[in-house]
Amino acid sequence: MAAFVLALVVGALFALGTFLLLRRDLIRVVWGLAIISQAANVYLLTAGGIVRGTFESVPVLAGHGEGAPETADPLVQALVLTAIVIGFGMTAFALVLSYRVYEEHGTLDVSELGRGRDRGDRE
Amino acid sequence: MLVVLISAVGTLIFRQHPRARTALTVAGAVGYAGSVAALSWTVVLAPDAPGIATYQVGGHQAPYGITLVADGLSAFMLATVAAVALASAVFSVGYVSNIDYDRRTFYNPLFHFLLLGVTGAFLTGDLFNLFVWFEVMLMASYVFVAYYGGPQHTRAAFWYVALNLVASAVFLLAVGGIYATTGTLNMADLAERLADPDAYGIDAGPVVGLFALLLSVFALKAGLVPFQFWIPTAYRAAPPPITAILAGATKKVGIYAIVRLSFTVFAGAQIGVSLEIPGTGIGIAGDTPLAFVGPVLFAMGALSIVVGGLGAIDRDTLEGVLAYSSIGQMGFIAVPVALAATAASDELRRLAILAALVYALNHALAKGLLFLAAGAVRTATGTIRFDELGGLAGRAPALSSAFFVGSLALIGIPPLSGFFGKFLVFDTAVQANAAGTVALLLAGSLLTIAYMTRAWNRSFWGARTSAVAEGAADPLQVAVLVALAATVLAVGVGFDPVYEFAEAAAEAALDRDGYVDAVDPENGGENP
Repeated sequence: MAAFVLALVVGALFALGTFLLLRRDLIRVVWGLAIISQAANVYLLTAGGIVRGTFESVPVLAGHGEGAPETADPLVQALVLTAIVIGFGMTAFALVLSYRVYEEHGTLDVSELGRGRDRGDRE
Repeated sequence: MLVVLISAVGTLIFRQHPRARTALTVAGAVGYAGSVAALSWTVVLAPDAPGIATYQVGGHQAPYGITLVADGLSAFMLATVAAVALASAVFSVGYVSNIDYDRRTFYNPLFHFLLLGVTGAFLTGDLFNLFVWFEVMLMASYVFVAYYGGPQHTRAAFWYVALNLVASAVFLLAVGGIYATTGTLNMADLAERLADPDAYGIDAGPVVGLFALLLSVFALKAGLVPFQFWIPTAYRAAPPPITAILAGATKKVGIYAIVRLSFTVFAGAQIGVSLEIPGTGIGIAGDTPLAFVGPVLFAMGALSIVVGGLGAIDRDTLEGVLAYSSIGQMGFIAVPVALAATAASDELRRLAILAALVYALNHALAKGLLFLAAGAVRTATGTIRFDELGGLAGRAPALSSAFFVGSLALIGIPPLSGFFGKFLVFDTAVQANAAGTVALLLAGSLLTIAYMTRAWNRSFWGARTSAVAEGAADPLQVAVLVALAATVLAVGVGFDPVYEFAEAAAEAALDRDGYVDAVDPENGGENP
């Protein structure tokens, strides 16, 4: 059940991210980027398998000095942590950059920026 | 091989001290080049060289820990990068002093971060780690594209960032998928498991599609058509010494990743591939993922040659021509890689990879030289537009001759490094009995001659314009250019050692068992 819901969530996130990416407003594009990378993270998490949490699956509670109980794959969670950190930095950078774009161009509309390009090429 | 990383990281620490910054950047680059040379010598070139060296980060054994691997292929790419980086670092010294203080402070640390990312990407033996190094490299390059902060720079940077963020998400998806399918991300372990999927109880089928995702990400980094559109704007926006690195090193990471994953990791996979466009009967079929990589990469490379060549012909700035030309030249590197993927015999495959590597080396050196020359022209005259240039040959003979050597190397005139690159690529195409490919390569070469001749005529010959007459070339920059031109000449004249190095690299790229053995001795060698 959880896997099914997560699959739906991943799909919805990707759809939403793609939709936002294709908007004309630069801030929405940044949102789209953030959402797509989060969708990738959720997808990675599901790749590790989902285990219902019970107190037996907590190593300290399950026993002392014995082998750790089987849980969801911790490696993907480590990967996702790394990816979240990277994604956070990237989103922050993209937001600052879109502010700079606004300062330089006075607009956040992608198609107006595109018109500016033709002038920029002549420069 | 740790020295490489230490020198890159170590120099970073001192970056913040403004006075020592410049000296340290150059020292760092020299140290980098030195350690790369030492690494290449001990691992590949020395008579008793092991051919491959590994380092398990944190002492965790191979399939679990992160492995750094230096083999012939990595060493060859690192050597290429080191040559460009050294030239670019020295060139920056003069160039950076023209920029205002705030920006100058961050130039050097970022330069080293870029280098660090590239180095890490070449050395890592782990797929997710490759992703991390890509991000390190990209983060630095984002800042460089936005460096001047003017209207067109911020715009170029935003496009570049948006594209690469999407690419990163796709990369992450592919990595996650591969992990879910095979249960490992270590490249050696991956190669092992894919070669014998039944023994590990995995279904390797989805890997082909995931590999296609990876291929598109790497093609974006390498700037192959249809992912080429960010290149001209980004290259125009970045400072010229950095453009030299972007063209010379960052793009090569894309190519390196394609070669490494195709031939070292996925080549052994026994997966039936059969794709067919419904209703046409046109399709691809084979028993390894290479059967699919070959045609796709070939189409990308072929289109790159055509688009890059045609695009370069009518640019009106020097850097514009060079940026489009580097799209075309990446095509020249991708085509032999594609031929290698579909090659019938091992010998041909080795030759094809060899050709791609030599061409990559030549492109890095020559294009680095040309981008730096364009930077020097801008410093001297304040413009790189053809309309405002002319007669540079008489005004700045040393600068002009360096540019001339770079152009000739790009075209492929015999005593220079370019000749061998081009010769090997053509040789591969001939031996593969691909007449159409030969014709395509010939057309691409003719386009190269056409646009480089035009660039030369418009900016270096003709009547001297006022910008040229008033400008004066910076002696340090010219010295770097001359040194780089001499390197291009030296590589061409003394080609034999370079050839051997490249041959070792091509050998390493194909030696899957050797790679697996070195990384993971306990598991390795069981499967033929």
